[in-house]
Amino acid sequence: MTAARIGLPTALMHSYYRSFWKPFFEELGLEVIETGPTTKAILNKGIRYSVPEICAPMKIYTGHVLELLDQGVDWIYIPRFVSIRKGDVFCPKFLGLPDMLKHTIPDLTSKMVTHHLNVKHENIACMKEYLEIGKLFTSNYRKIKNAVQTGRKKWLEFRKYCVLERYNCQTANGKVFTGKPALQSDLPIKIGVIGYVYNVYDDILGMDIISRLYKLGANTVTFEMLEQGEIDRQLRGYKKRLFWAFSNKLLASAHQFFRDATIDGIIHVTAFGCGPDSFLGKILEINFSQSPKPFMTVRVDEHTGESHLQTRVEAFIDMIAKSKNFKE
Amino acid sequence: MKLTFPYMGSTIIYQKLLQLLDHEVIMPPRPTQRTINLGVKYSPEFACFPYKVLLGSYIESLELGADTIITSGGHGPCRAGLYSEIHLKTLRNLGYHVDMIVFDDIYHYPKLFLERLRMIKNHKSFLQLIRAIYTSYQLAHAIDSLQKFMEIKQAYELEQGAFAKAFEIMRQKFAKAANTVKDVQCLQREGEMLFSSIPVHEPPESQKVRIGIVGEIYVVIESSINTGIAALLNKLGCEVTRSLYVSEWVDHALPRFIKKSDTAIIKNSKKYMEMGIGGHEIHNIGHMIHYKEQGFDGIVHLMPFACLPELITQSLIPKISIDLDMPILTLAIDEQSGAANTLTRLEAFVDLVRNHKLQKAG
Ligand code: SF4
Ligand code: SF4
Repeated sequence: MTAARIGLPTALMHSYYRSFWKPFFEELGLEVIETGPTTKAILNKGIRYSVPEICAPMKIYTGHVLELLDQGVDWIYIPRFVSIRKGDVFCPKFLGLPDMLKHTIPDLTSKMVTHHLNVKHENIACMKEYLEIGKLFTSNYRKIKNAVQTGRKKWLEFRKYCVLERYNCQTANGKVFTGKPALQSDLPIKIGVIGYVYNVYDDILGMDIISRLYKLGANTVTFEMLEQGEIDRQLRGYKKRLFWAFSNKLLASAHQFFRDATIDGIIHVTAFGCGPDSFLGKILEINFSQSPKPFMTVRVDEHTGESHLQTRVEAFIDMIAKSKNFKE
Repeated sequence: MKLTFPYMGSTIIYQKLLQLLDHEVIMPPRPTQRTINLGVKYSPEFACFPYKVLLGSYIESLELGADTIITSGGHGPCRAGLYSEIHLKTLRNLGYHVDMIVFDDIYHYPKLFLERLRMIKNHKSFLQLIRAIYTSYQLAHAIDSLQKFMEIKQAYELEQGAFAKAFEIMRQKFAKAANTVKDVQCLQREGEMLFSSIPVHEPPESQKVRIGIVGEIYVVIESSINTGIAALLNKLGCEVTRSLYVSEWVDHALPRFIKKSDTAIIKNSKKYMEMGIGGHEIHNIGHMIHYKEQGFDGIVHLMPFACLPELITQSLIPKISIDLDMPILTLAIDEQSGAANTLTRLEAFVDLVRNHKLQKAG
């Protein structure tokens, strides 16, 4: 008997939790199918099934789900992210995502594996949330527990690379799964990049901005490198934080990046039509209007051209390089 | 302290409340294109449309001399709960000396809530405060009940504008003379009599067209920014019922134990949406189903451009429309929505609804 195949849409939170999900489902005896980097074809599928005004990350996720259906997998895992920190929630679109997909994509319902992820810690690998999922595939409790533990170990390893060794989400996944170390060399410039993992590391939206910067002589730091405790410390001054877990992570890392004297400039990568980022952006604009540190917002959507991004990034790095030379 | 407040629906309700407590009140002017332009100018591009209108409206009130804004808070998951924070930051950044009294959820911040209450109570006693709140609450219900009546019968008025005129007369009377619950009741009866005396020509049942309106609260309630959609539909000969009125919004905000519940309506939405996602979506979906059950002929779904939860609702609508066998039109409202444009789309929609009704009958 061949193993049942479960598809993980390689979009939205996938790169942040891949190191948990993949081993978890494999330990349960399933074959895991990932859709890989977003392609034009995947994007176009998503566009066809989405309302035009919805943000590109949602269209892209929809595209990955359709791609999995086309590949004929048996199951598709579509979690509903509700909360990963007490008091924080997810963007309303995440809260409604499984409902939206179920009612817009025909034939999805019978294949969809979904549940609420509502935990107090960003380490989502716990029996409370995954026992029910495991039970869909085995009645062996120990096997499920084992799968959760294996997954958790991998995910913690992933986080360790991010926090302790300054890997970003993408390179840390590379390290965990293939042992490949991140490219790191002494570059003259350091840039803080603020953006959700599904924007920064998506091939179509982020257009590999991290490597682009690297080629231009800039190392990057991202929010993944901050631990949750550090995030909360940075936000202590706020009477009211933002409501959304990852938006708060971005806000906190922005604070840290503005404070850190070794960081030369900050780039905010955001999707057109992003609601949470509209407020995050305004807060940054006002709170740091006095800061001399260069700050730039890059808005991306499915139509953004590569040359546009390249030009802006080049100009930004150019300016920083010049002012650095000037100082020295 | 010169108080002002967000412009939403019949503003005399808030005005009344604050005046009964002896506050000096600066009435926010009814939003115009200028209000909207001001708001747009100082807001992030992808901020919600209600956020932009309110910002513009605050600026206009501040220009008139207000120095303190009373508003509600919240804690997500949608953006509305952050409006006050970002508004205040923006206004101060623009150089206005302004304070905000924000009423956050009594459950999350009970101490703060009481403190705020004490601030607006002024020198009055708590008993007087409660009386003032109760009076304004009744006032909200009275005005809404007249408005509901109007949005149905106006479709059949013989003399165009008769209802609007009568409503305006009543509004002014309420503003002037409704100082106790008894006043409110008297005026409501007077209003009902006045409305009933307006000549109408009602067609036979089979030719009536009933439209239900659902959507994001601000654009559903505030006629100055939804291009007066209820009146437009009335003009096209349709009866209109909205899913939300100010008084009901107040009911929603009430503590759970005194809240009137519409759980039955919300329960219906489960099939399409498992949980509330921050706006009024489950309420809206529940109402769509409820409209169907009550024999309505069509539904208009209003959403601010790029509204997060309503985009999800919009995604569900094709399916809901098929399941309910009911035409549903989504209209996105933003700074460019003009009455002329909306009217064209509504005309086409009403034609569709009438045909659909005929087909079903035949
Ligand atoms: S946070 Fe922004 S980009 Fe992400 S799903 Fe919500 S609106 Fe879209
Ligand atoms: S429901 Fe829509 S309009 Fe209201 S806060 Fe959310 S996004 Fe903005």
